[in-house]
Amino acid sequence: MYQLRAVDKKFPGVHALKAVDFEIRRGEIVGLVGENGAGKSTLMKVIYGAYQPDAGTISVDGKSVRFQNPRQAMEKGIGMVFQEQSLIPNLTVMENIFLGYEQQFVRLGVINWQAMSSAARQQLAKVKLDIDPATVTSALSFAQRQLVELAKVLTLEERVDGDLVILLDEPTSVLAEDEVKMLFTIVRDLTKRASFIFVSHRMDEVMELSDRIYVMKDGAVVDVVAHGAATVGQIQHKMVGRSVDREYYREQRQKPYDAANVLLEMDGIALPGRIRDISLTLHAGEVLCLVGTEGAGREAILRTIYGMRTPVSGTLKIKGNVIRTFNPQAAVAAGVGYVPRERKVEGIVAGMTVYENMTLSQMGRYSRAGVLNVAAEKALARDWIARLSIKAHSEYADCGNLSGGNQQKVVLSKWRSGGSDIMLLDHPTRGLDIGAKEDVYEMIRDMSDDGVGVILVADTLEEAIGLSHSIIVLKDGTIQQRFDCKPGAKPTLYDLLHFMI
Amino acid sequence: MDLQRLKPHFPWITLLVLVAFVGMTDPNFLRPANLLSLAGDIVPLFIMALGLTFAIYIGGIDLSAQSMANMITVVASAYLASLGLWVAALCVVLGFGLGLLSGFITTRLFVPSFISTLAVGGVCFSAAQWLSGNRALNMDADQRDALFGWMIGRTGIIPNELFIAAALLAVCLFIERRTTLGRALKAVGAGELAAAASGLNVTRYKMLAFAVSGALAAIAGLLFSVKLSGGAPTIANGFLLPAIVAVLVGGTPLTGGVGGVLNTAIGTMIVAVIRASMLYFGVQATQQQMVFGLVLIVAIALTIDRSKLRTVK
Repeated sequence: MYQLRAVDKKFPGVHALKAVDFEIRRGEIVGLVGENGAGKSTLMKVIYGAYQPDAGTISVDGKSVRFQNPRQAMEKGIGMVFQEQSLIPNLTVMENIFLGYEQQFVRLGVINWQAMSSAARQQLAKVKLDIDPATVTSALSFAQRQLVELAKVLTLEERVDGDLVILLDEPTSVLAEDEVKMLFTIVRDLTKRASFIFVSHRMDEVMELSDRIYVMKDGAVVDVVAHGAATVGQIQHKMVGRSVDREYYREQRQKPYDAANVLLEMDGIALPGRIRDISLTLHAGEVLCLVGTEGAGREAILRTIYGMRTPVSGTLKIKGNVIRTFNPQAAVAAGVGYVPRERKVEGIVAGMTVYENMTLSQMGRYSRAGVLNVAAEKALARDWIARLSIKAHSEYADCGNLSGGNQQKVVLSKWRSGGSDIMLLDHPTRGLDIGAKEDVYEMIRDMSDDGVGVILVADTLEEAIGLSHSIIVLKDGTIQQRFDCKPGAKPTLYDLLHFMI
Repeated sequence: MDLQRLKPHFPWITLLVLVAFVGMTDPNFLRPANLLSLAGDIVPLFIMALGLTFAIYIGGIDLSAQSMANMITVVASAYLASLGLWVAALCVVLGFGLGLLSGFITTRLFVPSFISTLAVGGVCFSAAQWLSGNRALNMDADQRDALFGWMIGRTGIIPNELFIAAALLAVCLFIERRTTLGRALKAVGAGELAAAASGLNVTRYKMLAFAVSGALAAIAGLLFSVKLSGGAPTIANGFLLPAIVAVLVGGTPLTGGVGGVLNTAIGTMIVAVIRASMLYFGVQATQQQMVFGLVLIVAIALTIDRSKLRTVK
């Protein structure tokens, strides 16, 4: 009933979707998997009308359609449940459910709250959520909000004729195990009302729930797998184009770290509402991975070390010195480098050249009495462009126009050239294609060889296991478990998951 | 795509088109003497716009510039007799300090710059009224000529103001292109979060941008009072709008990060030509601000980088 034919989408420098065919039938649950940057989110945005394809056709029940915006897609019955929850926290549940569609309850310019409340109750019943519709949304748990969001999308049922297609983008990422089970039961139950597209990183969940799974890689659909027709390993193989093996993560290059050389020590660090009693040690040449769900405290730890947050208790020692004032200037001076998750927002400055970006953290070294030595800056940039084979036409290239992988190389060389020996990497491979990822893995091993200590928040658990010397599992802001990850004796996904959830 | 590539060149193309247009309607306009005197007259406004560029370059605004200049005309007139040449230093320090105050309010108290500078501007304006007793003050003509006469004379046929303008432009251009301060301001304007995540002391640089803006507004006020040989709390009224127009039509958008002081030089010339052409076309002085208001709206709408704005309030 809902079909994409040969849909193509290009962005400057990226061919995001390559002739994608996609189809969903009535009452079906279709899984969508692929690595970050494989084109999943672009495809979803095309489906719910946020992007318009450059080529190809979209048809609903055989009729060709073209959506200018998500609202038009909704009028055809296509709804989206957002990963970053889209409910407005200070409104009540019912206000959120009918946001933008209050008109039906208005009499003489006044909202009939009782009518809205009973209509909201009906919607909530569809997702088996028994709460007062007048509850303020911020008082709900994450799982409840997810269901409210689903209920909100299900109001389409009354508003449009024809079938519903509902996209679920990583709906389980913040849910506990039993909540996931409950959600799945509800979704299965709802297939009599709607079809679902289910996007998740958690392969086992996708395999459990979906009738068919679309596997994407580098902007193309590489396979469509029917329920039960493939194992997790086989699908992963299709996603990355080869089996996820030790070579991919450069495990053969993993050498023991220098246990005598402690670079950083955290003892009982706490940030109210984020992390509690965090103690960890980072050695020279070590890759220490922080593992946990979103909000488990990984980012808070990185940001504390980088001085962007001031802990209320505990001590942080960098190379033996106790840190008393927490700000990024002091951290940079102590040799800390930070590669933030939001590369385009915090990593590079779009609109500035490669050389300007590379020296941004170390202008003092390239200036005298506040006057910059631009020639030296350019020489540095040329050197690192050659060393990391950064694809930029010259040191004058605008960083905003580079591809993600090359932007990341600029960020890394910014810190490496400044001699940072404690590197904080937050999702350094997010959104990169496979070649660029492997480059980053190489660089991480290079850093270890140079005696740099790396604290890594990886994009996937496999990446965390493959790259690290040690893993610390976090949950709700506390350390649950520490694993040693010697090559050949690494913990499995399930070892980690057990402590995460 | 091509339009995007052309965009940086719009300001000087606009300037050439305007000059050609006005020149065709009134051939007298293109006489060197006329152009030079036009340029000389716009210098106080240019200096103010030069300062404003720094505030706008980081994505802020300085609405206190006009009141600052007003206050400085009063301060200069009131203290010329007692302080002599030192009054210039007093003016610049005052401008720098009050700019720093605006910066402090903006960065430490998290008050958006349009309101913090509006408030500081209010303080300046009131200080000017109080200091002057709300009257126009006059400088002693002999003393002014002896100490500051060099500012407003002519060398050959070139008004001396133009040398001051060129010198200040050169200094600002050097700051913008060749110093860590300039680089940091660019980073703050183009990507403040990335600048902070690179370990720059963003707060300090932002405060400095407002301080530079204040100092240049003070210099503009000083020059203006020397030109008019006096000061009054409302003497520079009518400067703010054209100064903001000069920065924006020059190609430094309200969202910051691109453009710069050279753009403002071109923008100021555009403002000068518009102002002169209004005389030729018989637009009354009282109607000028209407035109600048409209030009400002058009300039903002054309230059602002909407990708940087999530919501506008």
